[in-house]
Amino acid sequence: MGIIPLIIWLIEDLLYVIIFPGLVTVMVLAIIIIYIERKIAGKVQMRFGPLWVSKRIGGALQSVADLLRFSFQSFIVPEGADRLAFILAPGLMFAFSMIPLIFVPVGPYYSLLFPAGLTVLLSVALILVTPIYAIVIGWSSDNKFSFVGSLREAFLLMSYEIPFIFSVLSMVIFYRTLNYIDAVASQYRFLPGIILNPVAAVVMLIVMIRTTGRFPFDITEADSELVMGLFTEYSALFFGVGMATPYVELYVYSLIFSLLFLGGWWPAPLYSPGPIMGLILPGLVVVVKAFIVMTILVFLRSVYPRYRLDQAVRSGWGYVMGLSALAVVISILEVIFL
Amino acid sequence: MSERVYNIEEAPNIDVSGDRYIMLQIGPSHPGSGHMRIKVWLDGDIVVKVDPDIGFVHRTSEWLSERREFIKAIPIVERIMLPDTIHANLSYITTLERLLGLEAPPRAQYLRTLAAEINRITSHLYGIGIFGIFLGSSTVYMWAFGDREPFIDLMEMLTGARITYSYIIPGGVRWDMPKGFKERAEKVLEYMEKRLKDYDDIWVKNPVVQSRCVNVGVIDKTNAIRLGVVGPNLRASGVYYDTRKHDPYAAYQNVDFEVPTFKNGDAYDRLLIRVEEIKQSMKIIKQVLKDMPEGKIIDEGTYKQLNPVMKKVYDERARVMFPAFYNHMRPQPGEATGRVEAGRGEIFFYLRSDGGKYPYRFRWVTPSFRNLPFFTHVAVGYRLADLPAIYGSVDYFPPEADR
Repeated sequence: MGIIPLIIWLIEDLLYVIIFPGLVTVMVLAIIIIYIERKIAGKVQMRFGPLWVSKRIGGALQSVADLLRFSFQSFIVPEGADRLAFILAPGLMFAFSMIPLIFVPVGPYYSLLFPAGLTVLLSVALILVTPIYAIVIGWSSDNKFSFVGSLREAFLLMSYEIPFIFSVLSMVIFYRTLNYIDAVASQYRFLPGIILNPVAAVVMLIVMIRTTGRFPFDITEADSELVMGLFTEYSALFFGVGMATPYVELYVYSLIFSLLFLGGWWPAPLYSPGPIMGLILPGLVVVVKAFIVMTILVFLRSVYPRYRLDQAVRSGWGYVMGLSALAVVISILEVIFL
Repeated sequence: MSERVYNIEEAPNIDVSGDRYIMLQIGPSHPGSGHMRIKVWLDGDIVVKVDPDIGFVHRTSEWLSERREFIKAIPIVERIMLPDTIHANLSYITTLERLLGLEAPPRAQYLRTLAAEINRITSHLYGIGIFGIFLGSSTVYMWAFGDREPFIDLMEMLTGARITYSYIIPGGVRWDMPKGFKERAEKVLEYMEKRLKDYDDIWVKNPVVQSRCVNVGVIDKTNAIRLGVVGPNLRASGVYYDTRKHDPYAAYQNVDFEVPTFKNGDAYDRLLIRVEEIKQSMKIIKQVLKDMPEGKIIDEGTYKQLNPVMKKVYDERARVMFPAFYNHMRPQPGEATGRVEAGRGEIFFYLRSDGGKYPYRFRWVTPSFRNLPFFTHVAVGYRLADLPAIYGSVDYFPPEADR
């Protein structure tokens, strides 16, 4: 390989990571989804939601204004806190919530410097790293409420990790591949995964709600019990980053959900040449699907209050686990008989 | 459903010294505490002891009232229970009228009942809204506070104020019902009936709410009586007691209504009873609007002492202007008590006059204060995460307890 194609290849990869499914898109989508969440909640709750910042476009810039406000606030480190961990943990949490994105392809020609055959495995493994930093935050804050919040996070993490892995596993068994692109191709041949194995899809949705702290599983941040949960002691941009992390996780999970269950870039042609048909169109389709999933999940805030910790943990080890095992069984049966 | 590890009787006697228990201070500056500090001792996740530390919003209402003319205590008692001002006002005036030997005319009594019931609805909606945000449902919080508005507007139409009405005066009320009030009230009641169905869908019958509230914070009949619980919380435990029935005041002996009671005495029953009481209040309002007698809104003795300008105002605008002698009221030496069923329970009032300008002793006990011992017992044995559910269901209002 000559030097020039290599450079072009690297630049392309950088553009993937920084612009399209990566950093910039995530930030823009996070800002939009926060705005939509607040606007939907406002609609349900007989009020306007964000309005006064940029009134002409319905307050759409409210999230940007919040981000700016966070950036100019002063950052306070509590006296008893473990300084290094306290400062590093939110950033690392945010970073690790984004890293799975490089293993989640949004088009047939999306390939980076990694073994393409193992993308499902790698992305699932990396997703499960993020909550460890939540525990670091709770430990380093030197605050009883943060500490209780991080303990709750740990309990929930353990109870919902296995159903998540089982749910992905059942789809992997069915598609007989650990590669997202092959999984999508397999759905092109048969049907979308949500029809083939609805149980796995339901488990995945429950786990998504739980892991990203949407209602009714908003347990680690229960404000009437734990003030702000993990982020009780945080301020300024660190707080903003902490608040944005669940939305990034939500985006990653939704991408995986739309690839495994919603047929990936289905209405677009599976393999077609050219930058528009081969890269941008499939990418857009996947992102739009993921966005719809996110919107449905954030809408739950307007409907449900929150469960108690022991109820959530019990359901995690109980019926969610049972459902996920059932999903695996369904997949095995389908593989045998279809 | 959580099992109860610690017994309610032994609750206050548990020794919480030592390393086994963690003490958690909830409040006074905490989203889930109100203007109060709750000290909670935990054994793991189980609440062992609750010590509500009150007094952060003490307003010296008794001290202030003993150093002012009788009539000037009305705005002071109202400031104590802001979601429920008309009952503070009514309980004080009922007691003062007994001391003065006054009797309000029937129309004034009906107007008092009307105002009291509208206010009871706003008070219960306030409680439901706070309960909602404690369990994390911002929707029901916004709905309840939004649906208070039509009732507050009604009260504004009737009394000229939104929250602090100062509507009831010795011997009657200050304003008559304005034109168009009846039609508007009927519209509001219709709207509220529709809304109650929405509340059923999103809040009362919500599976998450049921799993959080059923069998949580249970207090049985015997213990409820022993701990002196009052109001809806008492009736949720199955005790049929309502001052409106047992010691009728205003026009309550003339209206037909039921006192709903429930059996379990858990947080869910305490939620249901508020919804039921809203329905009963709407029933009372309808009857009051229908049966409202004609006549004066102030007693004859006071009317005679109005000067010509005031009489003209009264005849033209149906408005009572305060005559100057109100300020120099000197009741005969003696004492009087009064009881009123407010939104959160029974208010007890005691007034003593030594024949002077100021009350010699001004004493009142508010429902939230009487529900406090109950709160120290009821949360014991449940999980920390149940505390907001229990605290929200009790509908405790800190300034009301602190007075």
